[in-house]
Amino acid sequence: MTPDFPNLSFTLFCLLNTGFVLLVSPFYMSLIKKVKAAAQGRKGPRLLQNYYDLRKLLHREVVYSPTSSGVMRVTPYLNLAVLLLASLFVPVIFIPDAPAGIGNIIVFIYLLAIERFFTALCGLDAGSTFGGMGSSRAMSLSAVIEPTMVISFAALAYVLKTVDLHEMFAITSASAIPVSPTLVLVSISLFIIIIVETGRLPVDNPATHLELTMINEAMILEQSGKNLALIELTHSVKQTLLMAVLINILVPVGLSGGPNMGDLAVSGLLVSGLAFLVKAALLAVVIGLFESSLSKMRLFRLPVFYMMAFFFSALTILMEVFA
Amino acid sequence: MKINTEKEQTMEGKQNTEGMKEKKGMTASEYITGLLRDISKEPQIKNGKNGELYIPLPEKEFQETVPVLDREEFILLGLFCVQDFEGENEEKGENEEGGEKGENEENEEKGGKGGKGEKDKAEAPAFTLFYAFRKRGFSEVFVFLHPVKTEASSIAKTFPSACWYEREIRDGFGLDFPDAFDKRRLFLHEAYPEGFHPLLKSFENGKIRTIENPQENYPFKRLEGEGVYQIPVGPVHAGIIEPGHFRFSVIGEPIFNLEIRMFYKHRGIEKLAEGKPPAACLPIAEAISGDESAANSVAFCTAVEKLAGLRVPERAEYLRAVLLELERIHSHLGDLAGMATDVGFPRITSPFLILREEIFRQNDVLTGSRFLKGAVDIGGMKQDIPDKLLEKLASYLENFEGRFEKAFRTAMSSSSLIDRFSTSGVIKKKLITPLNLTGPIARASGAAYDVRTTHPYGIYGKIPPERKVLSTGDVLSRFEVKAAEVRASRALIRKLVLEIPAGPVLCPPPVAGIRDGFALSMVEAPRGQTLHWVYVKNGLVDRYKVRTASFCNWKAVEHAVLDNIVPDFPLINKSLNLSYAGTDL
Repeated sequence: MTPDFPNLSFTLFCLLNTGFVLLVSPFYMSLIKKVKAAAQGRKGPRLLQNYYDLRKLLHREVVYSPTSSGVMRVTPYLNLAVLLLASLFVPVIFIPDAPAGIGNIIVFIYLLAIERFFTALCGLDAGSTFGGMGSSRAMSLSAVIEPTMVISFAALAYVLKTVDLHEMFAITSASAIPVSPTLVLVSISLFIIIIVETGRLPVDNPATHLELTMINEAMILEQSGKNLALIELTHSVKQTLLMAVLINILVPVGLSGGPNMGDLAVSGLLVSGLAFLVKAALLAVVIGLFESSLSKMRLFRLPVFYMMAFFFSALTILMEVFA
Repeated sequence: MKINTEKEQTMEGKQNTEGMKEKKGMTASEYITGLLRDISKEPQIKNGKNGELYIPLPEKEFQETVPVLDREEFILLGLFCVQDFEGENEEKGENEEGGEKGENEENEEKGGKGGKGEKDKAEAPAFTLFYAFRKRGFSEVFVFLHPVKTEASSIAKTFPSACWYEREIRDGFGLDFPDAFDKRRLFLHEAYPEGFHPLLKSFENGKIRTIENPQENYPFKRLEGEGVYQIPVGPVHAGIIEPGHFRFSVIGEPIFNLEIRMFYKHRGIEKLAEGKPPAACLPIAEAISGDESAANSVAFCTAVEKLAGLRVPERAEYLRAVLLELERIHSHLGDLAGMATDVGFPRITSPFLILREEIFRQNDVLTGSRFLKGAVDIGGMKQDIPDKLLEKLASYLENFEGRFEKAFRTAMSSSSLIDRFSTSGVIKKKLITPLNLTGPIARASGAAYDVRTTHPYGIYGKIPPERKVLSTGDVLSRFEVKAAEVRASRALIRKLVLEIPAGPVLCPPPVAGIRDGFALSMVEAPRGQTLHWVYVKNGLVDRYKVRTASFCNWKAVEHAVLDNIVPDFPLINKSLNLSYAGTDL
């Protein structure tokens, strides 16, 4: 049954969900930095530092390399738009009556792929040494991570018997005992995907200044000013969305409503928002601690790390088949 | 001067045993005489002021000597040029006053013939090339003097480390090496005009007219083929580090060639020292490489003290050793931290950096300088360090030990860190001799060489340091060797503090000022063997040549990265921790 258009719940969702994700994303970047700093015995940046940085960058002029083309100019906007679209797929406060297609997990994966593709193009576009190097690395690694991601999400779809993220969340939040062993297994895969997709240790070191070791950072080295701010924002939105997928699968507590929610109370929304903030903060702490616990892997060993995600997902599917 | 009892045993056995037997009981002087007997009927060996031997070799004999030196496995320590070198004919008599050098008399017969100097002076060749060698089994340095006019023959094919020296000499003096395989400029980049040779005596220090937009590009080695491409990195880097250019040739990620280009920060230190009284050169020596100021100032002062016949009070020798070892500790701590940082493991980094900062503060308390500047003086120390402070240092080091061990254990118990460190950036042992690699990086590749034990100076003859030698030569073994040296230095300092005698720390300056002469001194800086040669003429420094360990060790990085992948380069480079400033004076 397809809901009528335009429906109020969905319009509200578009504004609220997207706005909320956009607003809180930079916070988690800072929080992870703070946790890592604490693990090193440092004070670390303020929790709102990323917002200040974005504001600063938004006021800065953009410098383009003379060899760069339109790709360099379009990508920051395009990527942010793609990620905001993707944010509709991942409800963080309440689950709306969404039109068909919104929430489809395959579309979600490939929206993220579009972002990665354009970032890699951008790295090549400026014609600098490191951009090309970063793009080449990112693309060769994504050839390995993409099937892993597909398998992981397939496992998720298999467990929850749907390919729609909205429905998945509805199922997990509706069931009395949300966490099943297979969901825990697939969550491990999801966690690895967060680490890989956001370029964190042991895959990539977001804090390094060493151009030669970079993957993600190398592709955006030539970005400056406002464009850099948009890229950074896009990156943090991506992180929040992936974190939200994991959270809503594993601990959906607090997520408001099912697909038939008609009347949403403001207080209910506030509680949901707050619940997400706290859960995501806990996850960010876990990510920060995870990053502090190991060194960066050798570039050519990374597929081994991805294979772990692949393995857990494949195991999940097998268990579901023979269960 | 008996054979040094150096235990330069290699990990893979003692290939030199045969050679050692043959030389038993032979002095360095006898040995070299015997070696050169077929070439030169009567080599005129002179004893240097710091135990080194000077052997003059005219062109023809020089040509014949080089293969002999190669066969005998001599190691080229340094090669430098001096313009209008006059030797030290005048003061031959005075030298004997001190009576320190037992062989002066013998030497006199052989070398110091009265009239010789003056006869030579009239037609003296413009330049003298100094080739400093060492030979396993001898604590003395052999310096071959080779007078040349406008060109000299290259020895870089036989002694590969000579390549940079020869290019340096060509830039500095305009002296040509027609048969050299590499004739590119070294420290004078494209912006310097043709015919510009700053080390010539005729060159006045002053403003330089450089070329605005040099058309020529530095010809890097070109490697071509399918899928081969070059990655230029530097000289401006993303981090706050010194400038250097790295030209990688890669196929995908694996590196199959690396060419480095240094000398972006030439300060003209050697020229700056010329014409100044020795005391005024001390601050220059300290500024050679910011984090090796104690090593360089001690090396400079030792050279001047030896040539002037000054005797450093024992307490000052102890204090110098304390500072040298403190410098080694903070340098190595920085390296250990840096290696962990470069594999993205800041949690391991922090404890090392905290300890390093505490050592800097100790330095500050002891000398008033975090980098130990202005502490050493010609003839001893500028100021005494009271026993109370030394005891405080010892008790701090007590506390340091446990925390250092904990940090080291944490690092060594991380499998992901070990995985990155082991097998990365291997330096093969066979490179050590031809490239004269020294310091912890050579000790991590199986060479037991340490200036402190092989050519002891100061207090090290009496209190030798412990050595740790590993044979793997990868980043992990450099990490372990540096950690072991931190421990050894800590133990050494505690021993020094316990045994330090009371007394003055500065010998009275010579009444007639510092005598003319020249001397070579070597010091084991944190990065390895550092060589200083000072030539004082008419009370002023006429030539000051410095060769820090980095100058030789930089070549190691070109070999260490082969077959590694590009993202591992920063780690390998960090594990070598080479000084750009120390290379480019």
